[in-house]
Amino acid sequence: MAILQATHLLKRFGSVTAVRDLSLTIAEGEVVGLLGPNGAGKSTTLHMMLGLITPDAGSIKLFGMELAQHRTEALSQVNFAASYVDLPGVLRVREVLDAFARLYAVRHPRRRVDEMIELFELGPLAKRQLMALSSGQRTRVQLAKALLNAPRLLVLDEPTANLDPDAGDRIRGLLSRLARENGSAMLITSHNMREVERMCDRIHFMSDGVVVAAGSAAELAGRYGAEDLEEVFLKVARG
Amino acid sequence: MTTLTLPPLSLAARRTRVLGVVRRDFAALRRSPIRMFEILFWPTVELVLWGFVTLFLQAQKVPFVVSFLLGAVLLWQVLQKASNEISIAFLEDIWSRNLLNVQVSPLSSVEYLVGLVLFSLGKVAFAVAVMAALALGLYGFGVTSLGVGMVPFMGVLLVLGWSLGLVGIAAVLRFGENAQVIAWSLVFVVQPLAGIFYPVSVLPAPLQAVSWFLPASHVFEGMRTVMAGGALPWDRLAWAAALNVGYLAGTLGLFAWALRYARKHGKLSRFGD
Repeated sequence: MAILQATHLLKRFGSVTAVRDLSLTIAEGEVVGLLGPNGAGKSTTLHMMLGLITPDAGSIKLFGMELAQHRTEALSQVNFAASYVDLPGVLRVREVLDAFARLYAVRHPRRRVDEMIELFELGPLAKRQLMALSSGQRTRVQLAKALLNAPRLLVLDEPTANLDPDAGDRIRGLLSRLARENGSAMLITSHNMREVERMCDRIHFMSDGVVVAAGSAAELAGRYGAEDLEEVFLKVARG
Repeated sequence: MTTLTLPPLSLAARRTRVLGVVRRDFAALRRSPIRMFEILFWPTVELVLWGFVTLFLQAQKVPFVVSFLLGAVLLWQVLQKASNEISIAFLEDIWSRNLLNVQVSPLSSVEYLVGLVLFSLGKVAFAVAVMAALALGLYGFGVTSLGVGMVPFMGVLLVLGWSLGLVGIAAVLRFGENAQVIAWSLVFVVQPLAGIFYPVSVLPAPLQAVSWFLPASHVFEGMRTVMAGGALPWDRLAWAAALNVGYLAGTLGLFAWALRYARKHGKLSRFGD
């Protein structure tokens, strides 16, 4: 069964068509990347998958359920992290994770929060307020929050944008490992081509709201006669 | 479905999510002494101010003013705080750029609102308890002088305050963050019309007609009746409760419409940008 099945999505904001006739399927355990220049419609697409934006046409099914009709059931198996979203800065790390564990109706919130704190090496930060953390540390808390419910679909919008190369590399390794172990599917946007190459099984290139190319990194490089994904990106972005 | 989480539509899951909202807001309040200070500061200023006005009028031999004005100040705080606290709780998710995290969680809109209402109830109860103690200590005014009517009076004002708070939230969802001013100030539209510090009969006839459609007007008229030694006007309270039911249903509908509008126009994605 497909984890996510989006068909013929259309989204207009006034006279601007942000996403046009987009169809996307993600299987269990699959890691899919959405790439494209700024304004290509990537975040709008992700936000439609999460129910933040209602499409003008088309349908979104999560775990076989129509998202619009089964919002709570569907979203209980999804989670999300983005570089442009924050968590309440006044709260301590443990308090934030505890609050979100309850919003996701985790059975044993304290135990789960302890697991996430250990997994993301947040022990020394657990009693500190988020506002006192560096952006990299906050990103780790965001990702810990995103894994609290062991989501079957993890949606990440530029997840490592605020991390230094070392921290970014470690987080990428951790996310890939968790996806393999738990069978979680991931939908990722990023401007870091190496990140996408390393993590994604399949990549969808978007431009002006339309998917213009799709395939694995190797397939896309071969199709565009490019050495790597960055070169593919430049060719697609520049038409 | 994993065994890690409760079945999402079960009562236990719904209760856990609602309490998650309450615990989060309580933790945020505990970590922010300035917010705690703010809960008490303005009500106390208002109480002290009107207390001195009361003492002056009392010296001028104006009858009943002590109980009228201080009772009015206390009940007004119930309305104002119920309205503002629910709006602030929502706005804090926008200010902290956390609204998206909440909106993509399985928390339903109803559960979110119930959580906000429960937490605001706690804050209102705390603020009113402190003010009642101050009114007793500084001016010898006991809220028990409102008699058994205190419970329905406060109940009507709480529900009206939540309705006004919902209008404020709906305005922010519809018009964006610039509409915050509506969330703050809407309750003050009620103040001159509801006969809080004076009888409704003081108002010009057209405004009196408007006033009778405000549940708060019936509460403050009822309060004055009780304090003047009259019986609790159950007919007024019943009319106020009926109005409240209508307004609450209307504002819940408005909130649902505004949320649909925000999702359709991508406004949720842009909050906090």
